[in-house]
Amino acid sequence: MSRKKFQRAYWITVLLLLSSFIFPVFELANKPYPIIMGLPFSFFWVCLWTFIIFIAVIIFHFIDPDNKREE
Amino acid sequence: MEQWQIALIMMIGYLAIALAIGIFSGRGRDKESLTEFTVAGRNLNLFVTWFLMGGAIFSAFAFLGAPGWAFSRGAPALYILAYLALGILPWYFIGPKIGKIGRTFGLYSLVGFLKKRFNSKALAIIIGVISFFAFIQYLAIQLKGMAIIFDVMTEGRIPFWLGALIAYAIVVIYVATGGLRAAAWSDVFQGLLMIVVSWTVGLMIVNKLNNGTNSMFENIIADKPGFLEIGAEGSTMSPMAFTTLIIVSAIGLLMWPHLFSRSYSSKSKAIKQTVIAYPIFTLFLIPLLLVGFAGVSVISVEELGDPDQILPYLVTTILDLPGIVYGLVGAAALAAAMSSSDVITHSASLEFTDGVIRNMKKDLSDKEVLFIMRIAVVTVGALAYFVAVFGGQGLIALLAGAYGSIVQFAPGVYSALYWKRATGPGVITGLITGFAVNVYYQMINTDTPFDIHAGTLGLIANIIVFIAVSYLTKPQNMEIADRYVNINEMEEETIILNREDVN
Repeated sequence: MSRKKFQRAYWITVLLLLSSFIFPVFELANKPYPIIMGLPFSFFWVCLWTFIIFIAVIIFHFIDPDNKREE
Repeated sequence: MEQWQIALIMMIGYLAIALAIGIFSGRGRDKESLTEFTVAGRNLNLFVTWFLMGGAIFSAFAFLGAPGWAFSRGAPALYILAYLALGILPWYFIGPKIGKIGRTFGLYSLVGFLKKRFNSKALAIIIGVISFFAFIQYLAIQLKGMAIIFDVMTEGRIPFWLGALIAYAIVVIYVATGGLRAAAWSDVFQGLLMIVVSWTVGLMIVNKLNNGTNSMFENIIADKPGFLEIGAEGSTMSPMAFTTLIIVSAIGLLMWPHLFSRSYSSKSKAIKQTVIAYPIFTLFLIPLLLVGFAGVSVISVEELGDPDQILPYLVTTILDLPGIVYGLVGAAALAAAMSSSDVITHSASLEFTDGVIRNMKKDLSDKEVLFIMRIAVVTVGALAYFVAVFGGQGLIALLAGAYGSIVQFAPGVYSALYWKRATGPGVITGLITGFAVNVYYQMINTDTPFDIHAGTLGLIANIIVFIAVSYLTKPQNMEIADRYVNINEMEEETIILNREDVN
């Protein structure tokens, strides 16, 4: 993947991730039930997406063309 | 021995260890070196960078303010998790790029970064002044947090003014002597302490007050309908306010000069790895939010007075915990406040010296600059101390205002990196407009249109003015703009050229 493409993919992902935390998408999660893992649904949703961010950045780190170049 | 005495001894012990680490980590390094003081020789690794970034964010606001928000406001407190997880993401690209530009031009501050690109002294002075005042507010919050801890944990035996003074004296001593490396190693120690304490004590409180979190949340839902929702009947925040608060905080996060400058002090590999590891820090906030929710069934906001006291209040009065736990919580909260205070003080002195002093008075030697920076460390601390002790109310409001001001740097920073047509006058007029709109809606007319956060309104105005004025004014010196925007590609060319030379 070229650096330009990689950059674009990264920024688009950031915007998608952002949208899951804000309205209108957050409306989906804006309720206390069901309680999952001891947390109200909205709380659980935010933790879940934080975890997805963590996974997403790891994936990006692996396919980052710059990292291969530096080795 | 009484409980508060054990707590006091532990907190003093903590302060002594933090001070020792700060002083020893700076030993053996060149005391007179400006690069060492400002960016720790530009070679901090992942471990230290991660704690520096994390420690700076997890301030007194995280340890006292986050439970306070969960306790008094409910679901809107989730914004803290959201903006921290999001705010770090752009750093993956802009961090290494800023680092390269910094190495090329010998920069170590946000002020220097924009001044070089837009070739404007006025811009440097404006940014120096805005960040200086934003920092003082931020620091005053930390001092207030430390004073609350001393006060509540010793059951009122250490007065407010004295607690703040003790903690701050230690911060000033080790930042003025050790510079960034001292702050970094203390942050590692403080970060570890905060993580351990927030999880153990946080879960202890929740389990003691309720039978686990399930029944705790069931009770809250039954007693306070809407408290765990946003925009519903009984909720404390509207969807628009929640959304724009997240946006302004997430964009603003990396614009804080003390976080921005970490791009200079760390290698690009360490920056990228820090972005990966960062969400782990947000995990440690979860128990702190749970503590806040646990407080809901115990006491009302009116009875407690200041919601920020909910965590120390639960530890000392409601739960009959041993004095050692008192001391641990006290030490961890002090650590939270200190780890922010040190980097803030350090950065405030850098930005002010670089932005204001250096542009007013030229021909300063490195040694003189270093001396002025150390004086600035003491001065910033003293000003923040007076705001904390005599400023009275409205500090939290001013901190939110500080975020609204800081986020106004974003158009300048991002265009410096990605948009060659941006001009100095464009950045300056945009910045001033955004700043003015933010201050107007923060202080004078708090009733914003559509309930949009004042900082976001300022940012929108800022961007419009910035783009319009940039197109109306003459293009910038293209050589500098080109080197900023295309630094990655240029570096590659040099590498290829060098290889050809070797062959």
